[in-house]
Amino acid sequence: MNRCGKGTNAGLFALIVVGLAIAAGVVAVVRFDVRGEKGSGLSRDYVYDTAELGKFDPKLILYDESIRPIATNFSKSRGIAVGLRGDIFVAGDRAVRVFGEGGVLKRDVDLDGQPVCVCAGDDGTVYIGMRDHVEVYDSGFNRLGSWEGLGEKAVLTSIAVSKEDVFVADAGNRVVLRYDRSGKLVKRIGEKDAERNIPGFVIPSAYFDVAMAADGLLRVTDPGRHRIEAYTVDGDLEFWWGKFSMDVDGFCGCCNPVNFAILPDGSFVTSEKGLMRVKIYDPQGEFVGVVAGPEQLVETGTARIGVTPSEDTARGFDVAVDGRGRVLVLDTIKNTVRIFTRRQGADAQGSE
Amino acid sequence: MPQEDKSIDRRQFLKSGIRGAAVVGIVGAAGLGVSKTRKSDTVWQIDPNICVSCGNCAKYCVLEVSAVKCVHAFAICGYCDLCSGYLNPKPRELDSGAENELCPTGAVKRKFVEDPYYEYTIDEELCIGCGKCVKGCNAFGNGSLHLQVRHDRCLNCNECSIAAACPSGAFKRVPADSPYMIKTKVSHG
Repeated sequence: MNRCGKGTNAGLFALIVVGLAIAAGVVAVVRFDVRGEKGSGLSRDYVYDTAELGKFDPKLILYDESIRPIATNFSKSRGIAVGLRGDIFVAGDRAVRVFGEGGVLKRDVDLDGQPVCVCAGDDGTVYIGMRDHVEVYDSGFNRLGSWEGLGEKAVLTSIAVSKEDVFVADAGNRVVLRYDRSGKLVKRIGEKDAERNIPGFVIPSAYFDVAMAADGLLRVTDPGRHRIEAYTVDGDLEFWWGKFSMDVDGFCGCCNPVNFAILPDGSFVTSEKGLMRVKIYDPQGEFVGVVAGPEQLVETGTARIGVTPSEDTARGFDVAVDGRGRVLVLDTIKNTVRIFTRRQGADAQGSE
Repeated sequence: MPQEDKSIDRRQFLKSGIRGAAVVGIVGAAGLGVSKTRKSDTVWQIDPNICVSCGNCAKYCVLEVSAVKCVHAFAICGYCDLCSGYLNPKPRELDSGAENELCPTGAVKRKFVEDPYYEYTIDEELCIGCGKCVKGCNAFGNGSLHLQVRHDRCLNCNECSIAAACPSGAFKRVPADSPYMIKTKVSHG
């Protein structure tokens, strides 16, 4: 009896010790700061405080994300465009995928290399930007050809199509190339030219977007100068708008906006990296409101910028608009197309 | 039975002593050699693709000033005028005024190259490895600023206290013959 009692006590003691050890282990794992968000305990002088940067008046948000995102099933999505019939083209991995109404996958076109951007013309011709050249397909995705390569330094990032021309943004060479529809190079636009009062684009990273506006002027991002510039198709710089600011009405960080699209009414949808924000500016470049801020785009419930390495690798969201004025955001972290619809009665500067 | 004389004379004592010392010396030298080889097989380094620049490198190093320093991969720098690793997120002016600089010790230096480009270098004497500039550069720029263990300073402790405090597992052992992990790719785009 005695021995049995001793054994029970020893077993109980061992059980308590093991239990405490497991509990301590669980607490250690739970409390361990795997993202480093609790900081090092250094004084505030040594801390890069991003908590406040992403905040803005929520009344400025004019859009809602009320539709379920479209899963692209890419591991690395790169560019988005909307075709004339409302089809959504997404470039990623080594393919271009076309999604129809309700996010139904209509086409999955395999490519030889990694596409960076895609654009469809009014006649259904599809232009796909690879790193250093453009590939052309007809509306049935039959390959029509490949345009001449632009060399080692080329980094194509965006394509825009007008009735007569195709405009290709080359971030590596800091130039917009104007081609005719057959692929013949017609003009180099935006290169530094003191005589024409063109300062040249400042493109610190591979984000450089181009679009054709309804007024017949080409709009091009100049991210290092925090502005969008307007050029004639012959390469004259007409005007620009945009300013640096961490506040919501400006473009943040070293080099923004990274991408933009033009709404049917001529307003601009801009996308910023770092402090991830998608915003609306009127046709003259005046700030109107917000489609989505860091809280909506990166992680629900916290105002954060892309700080982890995985977010760093994919934080320049591309944007497009459809005929209904909806804003399509290519979330290159989750590899989904997120659809934002304007709130009923939402007005400029967030007043409703 | 005659008793055996177990006493040793002075010469024998010295011989035995020298022999013993030699054995101890050889074994000791061999042991030291083995331990040195083992220790120098690997060294501590930070994987910049995992590092979250939390500040622990500045706080936890056993040295008074950390062996971790910011280094700059010039090949992937945008040479921005508005450098987010150099300037506060909300600078009053885009200049080198102390109130606009991000680095608390003034270790990041900038030099005009041509309009609108600037070159940024690190004064390692001043850098304490807090990673504030790295966070700014990663958040908004190309991520060309990153932290590395400088092996002219690191004691290569077996139980490195920074490694124990590293939240992301970026602090790890690497082969001593390739002791640095310098960034070669833009961290996005």
